[in-house]
Amino acid sequence: MPPIKLAIIGGGPSSFYVASRLLSLLPRDGAQSSALKVHVYDRLWAPHGLVRYGVAPDHPEVKNCTHKFDQAAQDPRFRFFGNVQVDTQSSSIVPNAMALPLSSLLPHYTHLLFSTGGSVPILHPALPPSDHVVRALSLVHWYTRHPSCPPAPPLDKISHITLIGQGNVSLDVARMLLTSPSVLEKYDVPESVLDVLRRSAVKHVSIVGRRGPLQAAFTVKELREMMNLGDASMVPLDPALLKPPSDAPLTRQQTRTLQLLQKGSANKPGTTAKTWSLDFFRSPTGLVPPAQLMLTHTMLDSAARAVPTGATSRLDTDLVATSLGYRSDPAQTFYDPALGHLRTASGRIIDAAGRVYRNVYASGWAAMGARGVLASTMMDAYAVADTILADHFPGRVETMAVSPAAPHEFVETQTHMLPEDADLESVPREVAEGIEEGRVVEYGQWKAVDAEEVRRGEVRGKERERMDWNEARAFLEARTSKHA
Amino acid sequence: MPIPRPCRAELLRRHFSGSAVTRHGDVTRPEPGTGIKLNFKDAKGQLIKTIEANEGDDILSLAHEHDIDLEGACEGSVACSTCHVIISPEHYDLLPEPEDDENDMLDMAFGLTDTSRLGCQVRLTRDLDGITATLPAATRNMFVDGKKPTHH
Repeated sequence: MPPIKLAIIGGGPSSFYVASRLLSLLPRDGAQSSALKVHVYDRLWAPHGLVRYGVAPDHPEVKNCTHKFDQAAQDPRFRFFGNVQVDTQSSSIVPNAMALPLSSLLPHYTHLLFSTGGSVPILHPALPPSDHVVRALSLVHWYTRHPSCPPAPPLDKISHITLIGQGNVSLDVARMLLTSPSVLEKYDVPESVLDVLRRSAVKHVSIVGRRGPLQAAFTVKELREMMNLGDASMVPLDPALLKPPSDAPLTRQQTRTLQLLQKGSANKPGTTAKTWSLDFFRSPTGLVPPAQLMLTHTMLDSAARAVPTGATSRLDTDLVATSLGYRSDPAQTFYDPALGHLRTASGRIIDAAGRVYRNVYASGWAAMGARGVLASTMMDAYAVADTILADHFPGRVETMAVSPAAPHEFVETQTHMLPEDADLESVPREVAEGIEEGRVVEYGQWKAVDAEEVRRGEVRGKERERMDWNEARAFLEARTSKHA
Repeated sequence: MPIPRPCRAELLRRHFSGSAVTRHGDVTRPEPGTGIKLNFKDAKGQLIKTIEANEGDDILSLAHEHDIDLEGACEGSVACSTCHVIISPEHYDLLPEPEDDENDMLDMAFGLTDTSRLGCQVRLTRDLDGITATLPAATRNMFVDGKKPTHH
């Protein structure tokens, strides 16, 4: 049986859960242990994707999953290469990343997995980015010190922010803007971010959605956190919005959302200087300069789509942030524009005719689209790992949940893209050089930076103080010369 | 008597202590024949294992101790739904009601039932002897050449 030498593109939670599952299903001391290598490539210098650069700073518990990722990375069959962006076009390269064409990677691997997530924010057609319209993702990247390095929002000059979209990203941003810096400062919030938040003049955050409370994408936990904000209160909703419909039964989550909205915020309206509102059934149609938002009022049709009622209104604001979901990077080889992500069946990448690219897989948001929580990402990742093994060890795998690998037709022209056998230790020349030059980060180096970030945080009485790449590189170089 | 779970402040303290991999409450095994019996079943209702536990042990920690394939991504801090289990109805009714934060996570659990709980929040008491925790349908249980997965 030839070995599995797997390259995973992307080093977020889906990638690490697949790696972890493969490494534990083929235990190091087992007969098949030597038959596996897993190399993870990430375009960012630091691993863990959205766990590091997406999870809100005041949700530290969510980051506990990295302990499992660290355990997987300790396995000698695992390697991580940060700052390597595989299979992209120059327009989407993140700062400092080395671009590596797929053709340079493929000769070194027998298996390929795309865990590239959904990195591209969907824009609102009526709200192109401008001085007054930003992507909510830029705000997330600002407060997580993402390598894309967006500018800080001018919070000292604005009092009213409007978020377009009613998902958890919107609520995360709203919570960051409305929570006192004295609460946030103990978390993993960079000092530069806290400085801006301390000077903030923001008094109100509007969270606009074109449908109603039963269709909103946020989850109850995040809504409850909004209700419990220490310094802010919710503008009361029209009670008519909160009546359960008589014709359709509600899901458990919908019922609990309505109950929470009926109860309102812990701080009573009018008792706080800061406020927030959920503006349901409003759809933006444009921005009157400098920042007056034009809204069409909407209602649901029989298929629960938002349709205009004919009424309109205007909302005076200072900054609009759009948060309307994500799709995968269209520059990727297997990107399907109709889906907004890669086309897969049971984790195997397929073409439009349903034929399978042999030994090429996708997992997580790159395969499913950008939705769902860590638990769904984990279950998907485990299923993909199981599929990889079921394909590689036909008839030798017992599984109760994965349907047995159905015979499938392979895409003939592409079947030779991966060699059947590969040198287990080899990496692309560019990567080897990048490691020599200190441009490519391996997991051990990340763990040194990680420990140093925590140490720098402890000095300030906080969870961690993040480094950017320049600081991390300087730290790693100083460490290398000390050890030399 | 219900046993209080660790409060959020304590969890935060644990988090900030910077300690390496801390499992959610390590458990010690009782003397055989003296513990509270807990059955783990797979999604098809097949018994995986019957184990014995001490008063106060939680189901997630017990699953880890006994190599049951139950995940705890947030390590018992009620920030995910990966340790979702289905409790035998007669024992479910003996448990203290789930709190809001647990319900918020159960909302997002796959294959939710009327007797679903987060394993990390179910602490065993003497009157729960004989309780069954069934892993939901999406939980996988896969072996290559009969090898069981190892916990890293």
